[in-house]
Amino acid sequence: MDALNFFAMSWLSPELLGLTALGTFLGIYVGAIPGLSVTMAVSILISFTFSWDVNNALCLMVGVYMGGVYGGSRTAILLNIPGAPSAIATALDGYPLAKKGLAGEAIGLSTVMSVVGGFVGIIVLALAAPTISEFAITFQPRDYMMLGILGIMLVGSLSGNSLAKGIFAGAFGLLIGTVGLDPMTAEERFTFGIIELWDGINPVAVMIGLFGISEALHQLHHMDKAIIKQKIARIIPKGSDVKKYLPLSLQTSFIGVIVGALPGTGGDIAALMAYDHAKRVTKDPEVPFGDGAKEGLIAPESANNAAVGGAYIPMLTLGIPGDAVTAVFIGALFIHGLNPGPLLMVEQPHMFWFTVGNLTLANIFVLIFGLTGIRLFSKIVECPKGVLIPLIFLLSIVGAYAINNALTDIWWMLAFGGLGYFMRLYGFPVGPVILGVILSSLTDENWRRAILTERNSMADLFLNLFSSPLSTLLFVTIVLILFTQTPIWTTWLKPKWTKK
Amino acid sequence: MKKTTIALLAAFSLSSTASFADYPSKDIQGVIMWGAGGSTDTVMRSIAPHVEKELGTDLILTNKSGGVGAISMKYVNKKKADGYTLLMGAENPQMHKVLGLSNIDYSDMTPISLLARGTPMIMARNDAPYNTMQEFIDYAKANPNKVKIGSTGKGGLTSIVLAMLASQVKLDYISIPYKGDGPALTALQGGAIDVMPAVLGAAIEQIKAGRMKALSMVDVERNALLPDVAPITDTLPGMKSYLPWGPFFGVFVKKGTPDEAIEKLQSAFQKAATNPEFVSLMQNRGYTIMNTSGEAASTFLEAYRSTSSWLVHDAGFSKFSPEKFDIRKP
Repeated sequence: MDALNFFAMSWLSPELLGLTALGTFLGIYVGAIPGLSVTMAVSILISFTFSWDVNNALCLMVGVYMGGVYGGSRTAILLNIPGAPSAIATALDGYPLAKKGLAGEAIGLSTVMSVVGGFVGIIVLALAAPTISEFAITFQPRDYMMLGILGIMLVGSLSGNSLAKGIFAGAFGLLIGTVGLDPMTAEERFTFGIIELWDGINPVAVMIGLFGISEALHQLHHMDKAIIKQKIARIIPKGSDVKKYLPLSLQTSFIGVIVGALPGTGGDIAALMAYDHAKRVTKDPEVPFGDGAKEGLIAPESANNAAVGGAYIPMLTLGIPGDAVTAVFIGALFIHGLNPGPLLMVEQPHMFWFTVGNLTLANIFVLIFGLTGIRLFSKIVECPKGVLIPLIFLLSIVGAYAINNALTDIWWMLAFGGLGYFMRLYGFPVGPVILGVILSSLTDENWRRAILTERNSMADLFLNLFSSPLSTLLFVTIVLILFTQTPIWTTWLKPKWTKK
Repeated sequence: MKKTTIALLAAFSLSSTASFADYPSKDIQGVIMWGAGGSTDTVMRSIAPHVEKELGTDLILTNKSGGVGAISMKYVNKKKADGYTLLMGAENPQMHKVLGLSNIDYSDMTPISLLARGTPMIMARNDAPYNTMQEFIDYAKANPNKVKIGSTGKGGLTSIVLAMLASQVKLDYISIPYKGDGPALTALQGGAIDVMPAVLGAAIEQIKAGRMKALSMVDVERNALLPDVAPITDTLPGMKSYLPWGPFFGVFVKKGTPDEAIEKLQSAFQKAATNPEFVSLMQNRGYTIMNTSGEAASTFLEAYRSTSSWLVHDAGFSKFSPEKFDIRKP
């Protein structure tokens, strides 16, 4: 009964309701602007809401978080600039849809499926938080390492026509990811003694350049091409569509919750894994992936919003942040005199259900705000190129600067934009590059922690892959994924009924 | 047009060289050395509103993490020495010279306030076969190269605590680096590492909840928040020469900032740091309020630098000898 009271707290108070709505609305726009991150917005709000009552402050921040994660898809679909790394996979099929004049439908569908994902995350948080957080912290360095390797294998899904070019791009991304101080020994790698390179090249700058700028440069080839009229008759997706894609959305939502709950990984990796999953399970997409397959849009959108609930799981139960934003939430709770930690559920029992209720509310607002204003937004794509291209440049530059208030990031962004343009020109996919950058440190750090743990013995590391069910499962998955791609499997062993 | 521009420019240059009696006449930028959600960030964001009230101006906070703090140091020292850019940092730059990370540390800046310092502790995972510092030392000696100790990189708190330990007792262990104490303490709870030295504030909630155990307080006395944990000097009296030692949070301005501005900032921070809300926040988290400035602050900073620099030098992982920078032996 108490739980229900706390759950409904933000629903019944007009003030809290209003703040959640405001937060969600702001979040969608913060999330949509590349470089302006939810993490940054929430930490600015900490100072802004310092003197407020803690519940009011949390409502605003939860709204921004929920709205922000969703908002990343907007610019990904409309302009091919993902608002955040978790919307990279969204751009892969969302933008082709917009180019076909289906931006409205794409946004509508992504909104509904984001909300579905959000609810799955919240339900799992409400029902299974303690179990999942205990499971999440048992991930050993070797497990994270294998998760990283699994992630790297997504190159196959992101490559497009030529796997070789995809692998090349992915490897290049991994290399970019190694720039900076070595996380283990603080030795400088590829820094040439330049202090600005110590923390490496920011993945968001790379992302904005490879997607946004390279697209804008590419558009210069087609200045004379007629503008595609956006069909805006249908915004709210067809019931039959929702029904058709719901199973996929639910599956990828679960990927999102689990990957989001792991303290070492977040929505970006979840969304890419979900995209890969969609590609594997969809036997006959209406449109091929990469050309505007709706499955490729739904999967990452469900997963990254489900990851929000996931990230709260270790935070509320153990005081361990599931991602960068929940880390800031922990700071906020501390500043408001609550002691975030494993005892939070005991000392502040209302906090758990209050947050769950508030997240639910914010998720509903995502649906409301997400589905309004789409017509107006779709018009952006109809802008004349002479307006649109400078706009993309402006947005990209502002975004790159906003990451860290550093000019360096603007130069990197522009450089990767130029590189991305030539990569496209010669048929190299840009997705694997950013995949490599994101996964580089995860894999690198955890591989080295894993091998250090085994006192540099490869044999021990290999044996220990079978010491826990989790490691065994991950290892077997990797082996199977690789094996099913070999000629031995495809020509001899593959079951007949799956062959076409 | 041109004339007005020149006039305007002249007016601006006049106003900037004008007396600092009316300082602050515009917003002040606070550059936080570490990222959003970290301990430095949290401390600075909780004192900022109180400082704003004292100064009657806005304090715009931005996070400029990177280069173990060197990026924010470099940034603030590139700005004008006019008191409108504050560096809000932690202890890290004090090690930068000997580690070869940067050629500026806090001795090249003017301290406004040292807000608080933390007490390091040594934590162990719950099911480790030792409960006290002595038992841990015995276990580690009996099982060389078996205990996995987490670390946060060279020059970090763990490395210095372990260097202190190494000066007293020879232990063979495996060191596993993490990005910050948060991830390392998570790994401790998941059993990926066995032991982790970290600041009390980062671990207290987990200890209270019984999710990890405290082996020792790296201090000369017991701490009121965890009175059952013995100070390390009970086991290793030789540690007394280094202690009390601990990470700290401080606010600094570039050298050459006008005295009027420094005085106003110092008094504002001093008043803000006595705000009961701030004090109770810090105490709950196990931080010791310092609230010092001027001479006392410089003495503390120098002591920290000399202890830590010589420790890492003697432990063999400094890049340069502290002598090179005239850092006295403690």
